[in-house]
Amino acid sequence: MVIRTMQNYIDGSWVESQTDRFLDVRNPATKEILGRVPLSLPQEAQLAAQAAQAAFLGWRETTPYQRARYMFRLKEALEARFEDLSEMIVREHGKIIDEARGEVRRGIENIEVAAGTPSMMMGYNAEDVAAGIDEDCILQPLGVFCCVAPFNFPFMVPLWFMPYAIACGNTYIIKPSEICPLSQNMLFEILDEVDFPPGVINLVHGDKGVVDALLEHPDVKGVSFVGSTPVGRAIYAKAAKNGKRAQCQSGAKNCLVVMPDADLHGTVASILTSAFGTAGQRCLANSLIVTVGEVHERLVKPLVESAAKMRVGNGLDQSVQMGPVVSQAALDRIHRAIEQALEQGARLLLDGHDVEVIGDSNGFYIGPTIFDGVKPSMNLAQDEIFGPVLGIIHVDDFEQALDVIHQSPYGNAASLFTSQGKWAREFKYRVQAGNIGINIGIAAPIASFPFGGMKESFFGDLHGQGRDAIQFFTDRKVVISRWF
Amino acid sequence: MELSTFGAIVGFAMELERAAESYYQGCAEAAHPEVFLALARESKKRCARLEMARREGISEMILEAITGLSSEGYQLDLPLQADPSELLRRACLLEETQERFYRAATEKLPIKEVQRTFLRLAAENERRLSELRELQS
Repeated sequence: MVIRTMQNYIDGSWVESQTDRFLDVRNPATKEILGRVPLSLPQEAQLAAQAAQAAFLGWRETTPYQRARYMFRLKEALEARFEDLSEMIVREHGKIIDEARGEVRRGIENIEVAAGTPSMMMGYNAEDVAAGIDEDCILQPLGVFCCVAPFNFPFMVPLWFMPYAIACGNTYIIKPSEICPLSQNMLFEILDEVDFPPGVINLVHGDKGVVDALLEHPDVKGVSFVGSTPVGRAIYAKAAKNGKRAQCQSGAKNCLVVMPDADLHGTVASILTSAFGTAGQRCLANSLIVTVGEVHERLVKPLVESAAKMRVGNGLDQSVQMGPVVSQAALDRIHRAIEQALEQGARLLLDGHDVEVIGDSNGFYIGPTIFDGVKPSMNLAQDEIFGPVLGIIHVDDFEQALDVIHQSPYGNAASLFTSQGKWAREFKYRVQAGNIGINIGIAAPIASFPFGGMKESFFGDLHGQGRDAIQFFTDRKVVISRWF
Repeated sequence: MELSTFGAIVGFAMELERAAESYYQGCAEAAHPEVFLALARESKKRCARLEMARREGISEMILEAITGLSSEGYQLDLPLQADPSELLRRACLLEETQERFYRAATEKLPIKEVQRTFLRLAAENERRLSELRELQS
């Protein structure tokens, strides 16, 4: 089988990278090499920025309605390739096919919302701010923006940003994950068919060198990032130093609190999806369960029994409920985290090492893993493991549950399972996390809402998706006028 | 086979529709060509509706495991026969089986829009079955 080397997409053309550094892209379920991704040179990122800047002048003059029509065309083109895209995500990432379909759907939803930009970027005005003097506020695009994408939602995350950016009249550069670049490559094949003007949307594969080049380029006005907290903080700092806007969605360690009055059947099902969906590799995964009072005894047994029955295997098999993790490095990290939890005294209730894989087991597999007796001081309670490892912390009351949540430096998401409105209201009001679930295990905002995040989980002011995106990708120009 | 995911349920439904389309196209060559060709065309459209439901109905917020539904009991043996009465008998069995499956699966699906699609398909199976029974008599 010929291993394809990916190309960049710059100024409306596919371009072979001049780099001599390449990474193999592997199928996590089989370890088969799917392709090679170039780690492009900084000057290739600069070329993309130049092309995007040159395209901006014409694109900015295209009417918002015309730009919205491109969104409608892009949506239809993606719907036609929906299943191909979903299967590609499974192959490059390892998630199960339904998760991949959900990811494609969420990505397309952002394009649908961005098609409403003609209304969303309308300004406002006032007559006679002083006698005979009127004042207008208009929203205008700024220029070139870029996105540094994560591996875990390789297709969807750039679509949290790019559709809004270009619908507002900006131009764009995507730097995909170098671990999972194939679905973005497929997206650009589709974008090429939709026939945007050259330079409006560009793709540069690579690693830190490409990111630094984009952050240093004078024509790049802003960056959107999703990934770890150390990298998010570094990108935020560098963007600010270079006078660029930034929105950096970063790490997480999310808690799911279970009150004694919670519906146990629904809670167990939600915990399984939240903790083990995408093999725990999502920033909205709840990897800590905080049981309040007597519910602990009633919850743990059915939770462990249900987790033990999860079918683990290749995500293309429709009967499978959890796929592999993305790489050997991820698997090694998860193994170390499990060892450390054991050393620190957590009680292992379900050992993912023992999982029976459906079909070919030659992938980066580890099964659902559950620890009880976890203390907030343990590494398991503090570190983002990004794998299917769930810790259970038992507390006496609601206040102690909030203390557990707030001892974390992160504030991405938190969930509460209860049937009492008063706990729900308290939780919603007081918890310092950006995405809150009430009887919802994965608090994933739909496209017309911002994707929240607080504390060390987000650096910036404006989030991705929805109205926040319009604000991030435009500037406000105030015009005061008088006619003699 | 246990149908424990949303995709597995809709995928199995699509398999049933494809089997129906293929069977009805074969039946049309033996007897009642207008009736069976119309059923084949409808089955193809029904498969497309299921594909659209799978594509538009899925949300990764609702990917909870499904229990208690198996493809056992909905498997069909559809050999093509020369005897028109046997073809009709198996066609009736096919429509009954599909209707049973759609109603059972509706109880398990977590997404309301897809539940509605399944119930509409079940109602259509009921209509198709009564048309086939008229042909039998």
